[in-house]
Amino acid sequence: MAVQDTETDSRLGVDLGAGLTLKNPVMPASGCFGPEMGTLFDLGQLGALVPKTIFYGERAGNPAPRTAESPAGMLNSIGIPSRGVEHFLTELLPEYTKYDSPVIVSIGGLGIEEYDRLAERLNGEPGVAGLEVNISCPNLEAGGMEIGASPANVERVVRGVSDRFDGPVIAKLTPNITNIADIAQASEQGGATAISAINTLSGMVIDVDNQRTVTGTMTGGVSGPAIRPIAVRMVWQVCAAVSLPVVGIGGITSAKDALEFILAGATAVAVGTANFTRPTTMLDVIEGLKTYVETHHLNSIIDVRGQLEEGMRVAIEPPRPATPVAGRAD
Amino acid sequence: MTSELLDANGTIPVFAGTHVPQLRLPSSVRLEVMQTNGHEPTPATFVETEIISNDEIAPEHYLMRVRSEALANGEPGQFGVIRPGAATDVHPILPRPMAAYRYDRDAGTADFVYRVVGYGTAAMAQRRAGDIVEIVGPVGRPFPIADTTNGILIVGRGIGVCSLTTLVDEANRRNIEIYAVFSARNKNVVLGKDIIKKARGNALYVDDVDGSSDVGNVEPWISEIIDSGRVQQAYVCGSNRLIELTTRLAAPADVETYVSLEAHMACGLGYCHSCATGAFGESAESPLVCRDGPVFRCHPAGVTV
Repeated sequence: MAVQDTETDSRLGVDLGAGLTLKNPVMPASGCFGPEMGTLFDLGQLGALVPKTIFYGERAGNPAPRTAESPAGMLNSIGIPSRGVEHFLTELLPEYTKYDSPVIVSIGGLGIEEYDRLAERLNGEPGVAGLEVNISCPNLEAGGMEIGASPANVERVVRGVSDRFDGPVIAKLTPNITNIADIAQASEQGGATAISAINTLSGMVIDVDNQRTVTGTMTGGVSGPAIRPIAVRMVWQVCAAVSLPVVGIGGITSAKDALEFILAGATAVAVGTANFTRPTTMLDVIEGLKTYVETHHLNSIIDVRGQLEEGMRVAIEPPRPATPVAGRAD
Repeated sequence: MTSELLDANGTIPVFAGTHVPQLRLPSSVRLEVMQTNGHEPTPATFVETEIISNDEIAPEHYLMRVRSEALANGEPGQFGVIRPGAATDVHPILPRPMAAYRYDRDAGTADFVYRVVGYGTAAMAQRRAGDIVEIVGPVGRPFPIADTTNGILIVGRGIGVCSLTTLVDEANRRNIEIYAVFSARNKNVVLGKDIIKKARGNALYVDDVDGSSDVGNVEPWISEIIDSGRVQQAYVCGSNRLIELTTRLAAPADVETYVSLEAHMACGLGYCHSCATGAFGESAESPLVCRDGPVFRCHPAGVTV
């Protein structure tokens, strides 16, 4: 059975800010996607393309085993192998820009300066529609968590990238913190034009017969439907805390799942683990969203963004409201 | 298709297996990534297709036949990542890599044989004819059979035999002589006999119960075939001892040895990077079993290639 192509529907178009408009709100989550998927379907049907995080230089990634299944999800400790930014620009970026979808380049670093260097190098490069700042990988030997869990460091990293890159800057947040609103607001203060949330939750799976952890680094990042309720709650908190568009990520396998994030306040969504489960999941989500705007007689999918019915519902801990950001026009 | 020492980026894709926890290969063997040399493997597609049959053919072993032109046109040693098509919220969340056992191009079907070892394969075994499965395939670099080859040696053990059976059919089609050693825990689970028989191959079936699978028993048989000069290429899957033995005996006679590896993987295409062969302390990403393999060339350790 051949994969059915989806047609563009203007009611699914969304604006992620700073000039980044998408034909639909569905994109892959970084690390769960590559040009190899282009043999399976036309990647130009997606709202945006998000390659695996790149570092400035080459790095190997983590020792095997790198993935394992966990209840309704998976644990990964890939450790972001990367050939570096020059290899990306010459070899990989052209594999993405041949499709009719904007390319959002995910950047990572082992220290604050690496993000600065990447932003500087990528600024003005044709085909780079925006940057996603990965300050949330739980599998790095340095950088990932101590940057992503510290509001001061997050603000510094995002400001460094925003100052050097003239275009959309999306901060990708970790859930491995006490209050994600702190990190979201620090990103906004630093000049992020959008936020994506969440990255994986740090976790551990043990093989009791072998009395060993299932990943080579003991721990890993948990993803998949198992984390979806946590992700929806955090996206709801982030959307209340900042005035930026948000990309909701976490265990999305269907349009219904995507709509949970949109109702919680997300403008767009990213699909990660489900790409492994079923590589055409993103097309299923797009089709399902079309059906939703049709049956609910919406002019735009954005009409339901954040439209949670709150009557008969009480928030135990109301999300922190947004505070005005210094220097913002609004 | 011949192998080259350098890949396009100038790094040497030769690696030893012992220090790689995922592979646990014998220390006497080093692996080399094959160059495709312009022969691109059959590209992968995503197929949602009907199960034609899914039957237990030996204790704990099932043969699943699916309808798919794309899969039926796969090459020897290629595989599919297969998931029973069911709710995505529940197990198994990840597809399972399985080598093609047989292709029937005329009927447009492909067969996969798997052993039930965990809940993924247990879920697969519960599927019935008419149910839908989701498969990405065919994927991976196939076993090369040189144009000049007129005899091949196939050495497999356990479920590893099922990565080699497509070679038997291909060799038969090309009138290449087949010599095979198929090893298993017991006689009930020696797989692939019917395929060897149909191809009129010469086979030694051995098992652990009567001790015939001991290396000391298999070695003279393999030695004799290699020394006779009747085979030019050898293919192994499913046993470290047999990989070691075949590589050791084949190298002095200039018989090329190839192995098919298995690894945990999520995507099967190369973008998830789960199945890297790398070890601690390396500075660059190592070959991936799915994209750079699953078939690799074997060399004796210590031999500079």
